[in-house]
Amino acid sequence: MAFTPKTAPFSGKINAVTLGTGDKAIVIGGQNVMPFYTFDAPIEHAPKIGVEISDAAGQWDAPELKAFYAGCTTMADYAKKAETMPGADFLCLHFESADPNGANRSVADCVADAKAVAEAVSMPIVIMGCKNLEKDGELFAKISEALQGKNILVLSARSEDYKTVGASVALAYGQKVGAETADDINLAKQLNIMLKGLSINPENIVMNIGTAAVGYGYEYVASTLDRVRLAALAQSDADLQMPIIAPVSTDTWGVKESSATDEDEPAWGSREERAIEMEVSTAAANLTGGADAVIMRHPAAVAAIKKFIEELI
Amino acid sequence: MALKGLDIFKLSPKKNCKECGSPTCMAFCMKVAQGAVSIDKCPYFSDEAKAMLNEQTAPPMKTIAVGEYKLGGETVLYRHEKTLVNKTLFAVSVSTAMTPAEVDAKLADLQKVDYERIGERMYVEFVFVANTQADPAVYAALVEKAAATGRCLILECWDEACAKAALAVAGKNVILDGATAANWEAMNALAKEAGVVLGVYAGNLSDLYDTVKKLEAAGNKNLVLDVTGKNANETLANAVLVRRTALKDGDRSFGYPSIVNLARIAAGDDRLQTAYASVFVEKYGSIVVMENMTYAQALPLYGLRQNIYTDPQKPMKVEAKIYPLNGADENSPCALTVDFALTYFLVSGELERSNQPVNLIITDASGMSVLTAWAAGKFSSSTVKKTFQELDIENKIKNRTLIIPGKVAVMKGEIQEKLPGWNVVVGPLEAVQLPKYMKDKEYEGAAKAAAAEAAAKAAAAPAEEVKELSFEELLATRVPAIEVVDMGVKYKGHNPESKTFVTIGERIHCISPAIRKAMDERDPAPILKRAAEQIAAGATYLDVNIGPAEKDGPERMMWAVKLLQENFNNVPLALDTANKKAIEAGIKVYNRTNGKPIVNSADAGSRIENINLAAANDAICIALCSADGIAKDNEERMKHCHDMLERGLALGMSSDDLWFDPLFLVVKGMQDKQMDVLNAIKMFADEGLKSTGGLSNNSNGAPKALRPIMDATLVAMAMMQGLTSAIVNPCDLRLMETIKSCDIFKNHVLYSDSYLEL
Repeated sequence: MAFTPKTAPFSGKINAVTLGTGDKAIVIGGQNVMPFYTFDAPIEHAPKIGVEISDAAGQWDAPELKAFYAGCTTMADYAKKAETMPGADFLCLHFESADPNGANRSVADCVADAKAVAEAVSMPIVIMGCKNLEKDGELFAKISEALQGKNILVLSARSEDYKTVGASVALAYGQKVGAETADDINLAKQLNIMLKGLSINPENIVMNIGTAAVGYGYEYVASTLDRVRLAALAQSDADLQMPIIAPVSTDTWGVKESSATDEDEPAWGSREERAIEMEVSTAAANLTGGADAVIMRHPAAVAAIKKFIEELI
Repeated sequence: MALKGLDIFKLSPKKNCKECGSPTCMAFCMKVAQGAVSIDKCPYFSDEAKAMLNEQTAPPMKTIAVGEYKLGGETVLYRHEKTLVNKTLFAVSVSTAMTPAEVDAKLADLQKVDYERIGERMYVEFVFVANTQADPAVYAALVEKAAATGRCLILECWDEACAKAALAVAGKNVILDGATAANWEAMNALAKEAGVVLGVYAGNLSDLYDTVKKLEAAGNKNLVLDVTGKNANETLANAVLVRRTALKDGDRSFGYPSIVNLARIAAGDDRLQTAYASVFVEKYGSIVVMENMTYAQALPLYGLRQNIYTDPQKPMKVEAKIYPLNGADENSPCALTVDFALTYFLVSGELERSNQPVNLIITDASGMSVLTAWAAGKFSSSTVKKTFQELDIENKIKNRTLIIPGKVAVMKGEIQEKLPGWNVVVGPLEAVQLPKYMKDKEYEGAAKAAAAEAAAKAAAAPAEEVKELSFEELLATRVPAIEVVDMGVKYKGHNPESKTFVTIGERIHCISPAIRKAMDERDPAPILKRAAEQIAAGATYLDVNIGPAEKDGPERMMWAVKLLQENFNNVPLALDTANKKAIEAGIKVYNRTNGKPIVNSADAGSRIENINLAAANDAICIALCSADGIAKDNEERMKHCHDMLERGLALGMSSDDLWFDPLFLVVKGMQDKQMDVLNAIKMFADEGLKSTGGLSNNSNGAPKALRPIMDATLVAMAMMQGLTSAIVNPCDLRLMETIKSCDIFKNHVLYSDSYLEL
């Protein structure tokens, strides 16, 4: 008796969302199977990798990473260099220094940076804020305005500020908007409904359903990813069919495994290698759960995940 | 997989001979399906049919044991569906193609990774020993070396002679990963003779399936399947399809654990292997074989595994102990929090960011978060004191500043009293505020103030002899006289024999700041107001939650019981606190005219003693069908139910006095478990047991306007299943009207046009 596996795609399908313009534009989503289940149905658009560039990148001290960006001073320098990183599909500009409780960089400076980057590179651009609702609101609106026509993705609208962020980013300036929730499938659905309620087209929404480094409550992320994907595909829940983006590096570089110095933990070996492997594992886990795009930092980690995606698709 | 009565009926003799004691074959089969009778009661079921039924009731995936480890035994594809049971184990590979020096280095390196993370030892469990040549002596020598590590072995060897030689030196804790379509008979004989697990490998799933079928026919079901394909894509497909076929399609021939060999599909690329391993930890690798396991790989992979294989219904806990951070020593201040893993990570992370030396003291709180643990009495001055004694903190740390979480500022006084000599300081409300708080040394001033306060107190009241007072003494000296106030509401009485639904009003609860303050100050007005509202709305019982009340529980409860009963025609009460003495005291002054007191509550774990308390005081006891966290399925719920029932009956209680609580779960988060809860109620009812529970928990976090709709709908469904009582907010009109209507349909109350007003 020969074994014939039962394989079939789902009736539900993830929205295909285009980021950027021109030759370098990318499409995320579009599949009707669980992540990498090419045996159920072909996956047209492979998951994409974004490279994080921060306005605090000058403080990055891992030797290889530093060497990669040697000579870069402005955000545009970093972006141009990042565009050459093998495996990179898009760029993520992280304006962490805008935080009023930190360096409190002005919105004008950030916008100038974003404009300079947009002029210097052709890859799609994703904007990440500083997590301060008020500052992000202003920053997102101004950058969306300045980069009109570039089809950028802005991370993110949250349930506290979805009205202002959604209205400015997506409605006024026609950019893509991220919908950010923290490991809560019901809230993720609700936020999408509310964004659609502002008359934002679902094809202009990408979700960030919550992140964590592996080992740090990642079980909540894993189960939320599973449940979101199963709802979108098996139940054809149109309010959860948005593709998912997972910022990885912003979580993984902060945990002890990546930050403890070689002197702190002599048995653990090279700190940079630990940081790379932490990024690799967290990105792979996110992609396994359903992320359609991951945001990463280290060229070696990006290369490994690029290979990983190519092999699995 | 549960078999339906009708499936069994199809195989039955259909004679209706009644010899089994059931009136018809159909009735008999239904009982078999419920597990109420054994199929052997029927003399006419064919052996074939019986074998088939046994086969079908077997678990869909086998649990295979190797040494101390268990592999497989999974029942679900995704952890949120229930839980994953047996974690992925890791192997590092050595091969006869390596030089002896390479082998020695590998074996030494794999033993270097060995550490503990949140109570779990992290290390490489297996050595994978690959044979690539034909000389038995060469392979046996390698296996012997690998066995010397003391780890379990996987012998990848398709050559019979080599396998035989290897098994002779490998010991018992071995998987002989050697069966293929070509050699399965010989390998099967070897594995059986050695009493070891047999691994099966084939170039494609169809051949793998056929080989397994042949081995099963030859009587070997002690198998693992090497699902590694030509590349990663094929390997993932194999792993998923094998597991899906077993669990979703119920085909047990693929219901075996898997081996995924990354050394074969990503040779020479450690980072790629880390990425693949991350996939197979989630997607169905029982054993993942790697070329290396460095710390850089182990730290993320074992962390991921620990996350994925936690039971979604049981919180992850860290060990209760002192965690010195940022080079803290005995002279550094202490910060206190609970053992919920996420709380620990958050708090320790923020404390580390402050760069200030501090001793983080983790206290046992059953893995609950700060506020939940406090409300449940698992984080109290007594539990803190216990931790301090057990960890001998008094002697280990000289600094006497103790920062407690801002959320439990109310505990400051109690902890201060229980830990004389310590200066208890209330820390910030949120962990993110800690770095600033620590850097600014805000606690120093507060510690001085606490010390001064304690000194002043000591000077003012020189060591009063603390004598434990009897309830009578307490009643006479510590419980203020009750003044009866006309609130314009009269409790209409309750007949304990009545079958009508019992509502227990939940609004007198210490989690409400107004009630907490009123309890602390023995201020009757706010409590009477809430009681009056609930009685007017038709509550049968009132719940009285006095909080953990460690200090003055008995007098608090006596006061509350007398206050409510004397004001409201002896309204029956549920006494709700973690303090047993307080419940006992409350019952001492309780008037039973309208029904026995209810002890709220016992569970099948640490609170099971409350059943004894109820039994000794002839009270009703709410029995939570949980032990350590929420029950994972109804099998577990019923086990807890029966354990508590047995205990109650042995103590002479009537089964009517145990009200079983299935634990209503919140829809936002546990939507897929709602039907389990409802079915548990049906199971209680079918056994003639009473039930109750905090029904409105289902709508926690939902918008205010939705909650009455959700609660009312759920109560109707639950009453249909046989729920006899619920702890609810009686001021919810829609809910109360639904309950009254259900009582009409259930024929518990005779209908009249004004039934809602009664």
